[in-house]
Formats: sequence, C-alpha cells, structure tokens
Amino acid sequence: MAMPTYTIRPALHCLRNAARRRPIPPCSSPSFTTSTQRNVEALETTSTPPAPPPPNLDPNTVFTPRDERRLLRTGVHPIGSRRRRASILSSDNVPFEQMPYQCFQEARAVLAEDRSRKLLEIAEMRKRIAFWQNVPASDLGGEYAKRGKLVRMQRYLEQLKILADVNDPVIKKRFEDGMGESDIPLTPTLMLVELMLILGRDLGDMERPIYRYLADRKWREYKRKLLMQRISQMHIVPDMLPHLDPIAEVSLGFGRRNVQPGEFVDSRVSEIPARLNVRVFDKGERLVSIAVVDQDVPDEERDSFGSRCHFLAVNVPLSPTNTSIPLFKLKKEEHIVHPWLPPYAEKGAPYHRLAVFVIQQDGAWKGASLDIKALRESSRNKRDGWKIRRFVDKKPLKPIGMHLFRSKWDEGTDGVVTRAGVEGMNIEFTRKKPEKLPYKKKDGARYR
Amino acid sequence: MRPLCLRSPRLTLPSHTCPSFQWLPLLPLHHSRPASHASQGRANKAAQGPGKRLGAKKGASELVVPGNIIFRQRGTHWFPGENCDMGRDHTIFAKEKGYVCFYKDPETNPKRKYIGVVFERGMKLPVPRNKPRNRRLGLVGREREMGTLASITPPRVTSGEGNEALEVGGMTEQGGTLRQQDKRTRAKMPELKQMGIRPGYQYRESNRHIGRVAERAQVKVGEFKKRGRFLAWRKVNARRTKRAEKKASRSRRKKGSKNKSKN
Repeated sequence: MAMPTYTIRPALHCLRNAARRRPIPPCSSPSFTTSTQRNVEALETTSTPPAPPPPNLDPNTVFTPRDERRLLRTGVHPIGSRRRRASILSSDNVPFEQMPYQCFQEARAVLAEDRSRKLLEIAEMRKRIAFWQNVPASDLGGEYAKRGKLVRMQRYLEQLKILADVNDPVIKKRFEDGMGESDIPLTPTLMLVELMLILGRDLGDMERPIYRYLADRKWREYKRKLLMQRISQMHIVPDMLPHLDPIAEVSLGFGRRNVQPGEFVDSRVSEIPARLNVRVFDKGERLVSIAVVDQDVPDEERDSFGSRCHFLAVNVPLSPTNTSIPLFKLKKEEHIVHPWLPPYAEKGAPYHRLAVFVIQQDGAWKGASLDIKALRESSRNKRDGWKIRRFVDKKPLKPIGMHLFRSKWDEGTDGVVTRAGVEGMNIEFTRKKPEKLPYKKKDGARYR
Repeated sequence: MRPLCLRSPRLTLPSHTCPSFQWLPLLPLHHSRPASHASQGRANKAAQGPGKRLGAKKGASELVVPGNIIFRQRGTHWFPGENCDMGRDHTIFAKEKGYVCFYKDPETNPKRKYIGVVFERGMKLPVPRNKPRNRRLGLVGREREMGTLASITPPRVTSGEGNEALEVGGMTEQGGTLRQQDKRTRAKMPELKQMGIRPGYQYRESNRHIGRVAERAQVKVGEFKKRGRFLAWRKVNARRTKRAEKKASRSRRKKGSKNKSKN
C-alpha cells in the first residue's frame, strides 16, 4: 500500500514554496516610540538576535519543535503560534498593498487618509503643548491649574497616538501574530539556557503606545477578569489589602511550571524562588517592590490567623520592555530584604494563600527608591507578622499587580521545612471539640 | 298520584301563546337542584394542621454554639450571614460560637435580611467591606512525628535567614536536590510502601514505585547477550515480509469471494 499523501504534504509545501517565500511586509508607519531611532529600526525586524540564526531557519516559518529549539539557541524567538508559522510556509504571503481585492484596497485608502489627519492633529497638539509650557503660570491661574492643563493635553496626545494606529490592518496583524512573542510550551526537553531566553523574551513592540494599548485590552478581556474573580473568591481584598486595582499583568512560575492564579502548588515545586513576568502597559521605567505574603499562618494562642513574609525585594527596575523578574536573579545587596522562604503549611491546617504583590514605588515620580538598610533593620519588617497593609500605608507605594497561589500540607512538606531550617513544624492540627451550651437545670417542681 | 308538574324553562318565556303542553311528558319526572356551593374540600376552609413551630429560636445577642438552630422558616425570609449557614429546609444555624446578630447588608443586597454570629458581644454586623475578616482557627495542635525524609538532616544545615554564607542571590542554597538525597539515603531507608491517593481515588503506591519493585527486591536478570544482530535483523525482516504477503493474499481472496457473491 502507498503511504497516505497527507503525511508528506508539509514537506512538499516547503520545497514548492521555498522560492516564493517573501518576508512579511515591514510596518511602514512611523512609530511613536519612547526610544531612539536606532531602536525603532530594531523593532522593524522582529527581534534583535545576539548571533545570526542559521540561514535555513526563519523565525516566521519554523514550525517543528526541533527547529524551534535550534533557533532559540541562537537567541531568536519564533514569531506567533506554531500553527500560524506552518500556514505561512504554505501560503503565498502577499502583502496587503498587493492584495487583489478592490474593496479592501479602497478601505485601506480611507484608513490611510484618516491616519494622516490624525498625524496632523498630533503635530498640532505637540506644538500647543510646547507653547503652553512656556506661558507663565500666573497667566493660567496658578501653578496647579497650569499643570492640570498640561496633563490633560498630554493625555489627549496619547489618545491621538492610539487612534492614529488602532485601525491599521498591518498593526492588527502584527499584534495578532504575537509581536515577537513565542507560545512554545515549556517542555522538559528545553534546556535551561533556552528557558532563560524565553523568560527574557523580546517584547520590543511594547515601546509603542499602540501595542501597549492592544496588549492591555487583550489582558483585560480574560486574564484580568479571572484574576479579579480569584481575588474576590479567596478574600484577598479585605484580608490583605483594603482595595486593589491591578494594572500590570503578572505571571508566575517555578522552574518550568507555570502557575495559574489560585492554583495549589506542591511544596517541593515552590521550594525554589519563583520567576515572575510583569507586563506594565504604561510607558517608562519605574522601580517596584515585590512581596510574597502568607496570610493564613495559624496562631493557636490567639485562636486566629497571622501573616508571614516569604519574600521581600525593593527597588527592582521594571519597564514595558523589561518584563522578566526571576526572583533568584535579584541581587542580594541591592534588592533583597527577606530572601525566599519556601511556602509551607502545617498538617491539618486549612490551606495557605500566598499572594505575590508587585508594588510600584510612587514618589515624586515613578523612581523613588526605598532605603533598604532601614527596611532590613526595622523591627516592623520582621518576617513573622509582616503585613502588606502596613507596608503600603506608610510609604508612597501603590500595588499595581498581583498573583496568588495556594499551598497545603503534602508529603514533601516535611523535607522542605527541614531543608529550610524551619522549626516547630512537628505539629498536627485537629478540630477542637465544640463546646456545649451551659445546661440550665429547671426548678425541681417540673420534674415531679 | 298526579305527576309533579314541572314547567320547562321554555314555558316561562312570553311565548306561552304557543300551546306547548303537548311536550310535557318528555321532560324528566325527577329533577334535582345542583349545589351552588361545594360542601367539601378547600372551599370550606381546611382545618389548620398542627403548628410547625417556625420562627426565631434565638434572640439577638444570645449565645450560640456551632450547630445551634437560630431560625426556622419556610422559604428564605432570612439569609445566612457571617458564621452562619442554611440547612436543607432553609433553617439558619450557627457555625461558630458567638452571639446572634440580625442585620441588613445593603452593599451586598439591598433587600435581604441576614442572620450572623459575632465572636464578641457588642460587635456589629455587617463589617465594613475593606476591613479584614475576623477568622477563628478552631483547631488544636498536637505533636507528631516528622516524615522519614525530613528526619534525616541534610549535609549542610541551613538556618533560614541571617545565614550569610549559604545565601546566593536571594536563594537559600540547599544541600543537594531531593532526588540526590533520595539516592544518598536509599541504603539507610527502611522498605516503606509509599501509599497515597492517586488519580481516580485509588489508594495505592505510585506507578514509579511499583516499577521499581524488582530492583528493590534485588531480582537479577541475566545480561543481554549480543549475538549476530545482523542475522537477527534479517530474520525479523523476512518474517515481516512473509506476514505482509500472507495478509495481502488473504485480503485479496476475501475481496474476490465478496465480488463473486455479489455477482
């Protein structure tokens, strides 16, 4: 019997389309980046490789896991999903300008005209802002009023930048293609080096307001909703903080394992420090603090629950392009107040909720650094009884993102605890026998 | 006896000029008047059954212990609030020891009435939404023996925070991984069946452990002797082709017989 044809078809496609393959049309629009022109050029190509990739490996078309790994080793990330890459390989890949659809082309012309109008408006707005900046505050009714006016104008300018690009089909395509992100699942076959590359994946496009806007919108569509649900279900909000409005996407993992918000994590898995990926959607560098808090520490004396700090780092730089924060990579002298203490739960006790907070250090500007020495020495910052409420209240700090996972006693806990040198864990909790209501004996006449 | 003379309704009509008496014999002789009011059933107000003893069993700020019934009702006139729950017949009962509190919580639901239990007399419900919950542990701790793996002290004991030498970049350095420790201590460890709950609610050893049973029992298997591998390969291939041919011929015969039967 002959081999079924479908098994060899992809290979055939490769051969057939090798000559026809064209690179994806680069985005022709000028970009509103916060970086220099050199950086913009770097953005046009999808990523900045440290070493040139092998000639036969195109990040747009690799689709076998083996090739993906080979490409990753050179420091280049495959673009978009594997399915998309495979389909690009077999498509003609005609750029939008050459699509033979009249209606489509006319629609593109309309959008282009709108965009050019928006660009004019942007230029006008910039001029106006420059003008009002030079006007003395006394003419505008005081310093406060002037600042308010300028802030409002700046906000409108940012809006215009987004409006100029939001309808551009090329931008929509590039965003949906993953903006240089890869969605390779973290398989055990991936080497540690590759893992590190994935963690520090290049999100160059996050420099442009339009991509930040689109990424934010996508995050709010599902992931943020899920997180908010977990926050309310697990009572993070009244228990740990009085109010929380996440504006940064936080994803968490241990080694190769990714953790969903609220998931139970085995104590042996969470023994190593977590790796965080924090995406912020507003421009600029800032410093953040990272705190991991356990709010369910049983306190037998008070017959209640206490809290404990499992990790505290301050002054960690963060920006829309620099998203990866592996906790084990943070420098001890500069950042770490409390090193990682593996999460653990007592036998028989209810599960522990461990919340990871990303807290923006908001001083006069997003860069106010905290005094780490004072934090280390302060008696209020001890691990046991550390409260996020108190930490946030006293300083100009604003929680911008959070993630949470849960931990309960399992077979590995004893080993984890012994290795971490935690004492007093040879304890098992059992239910307290409920008291009875005091029995009031009625007067003797009733029983006669 | 003369038969009772009943007039048909038609006769009452002003058309009495018409001599219709000739029809009288056709009317029924006996006529009963239907009841205009039911004599039995719902209409006469069914007798009230025994009282169901519904209502509040505990008053406000009265002491209750877990399980105490606070309110019996049909339907949900009251809802369970803090430290309370609702039974199968909508009975509200206490889940914690404390004092009963009847309250409304317009932020959660503007119409519902709630019954809650507070831990101390005088505490008010509902608590403000941003205030941390009051929670009671309700457990007692007692000593237990630590697991076998934990009792073995690792080669380098880490004493948590403050141990400068062992901390590298925020991570407390560990004395070898779990697996390494396992290897090191395997000789000393007693033979334990590591039972546990597996997927599908099975209480058994893990597959990994079952797979190592022979190894632990020190069963020796003879070493594999590599003789003529090329000869073996040729033999296997010959067998395969023979089998394939056989199969092909069989299927051909089958097809042929089918065709014949159709014809």
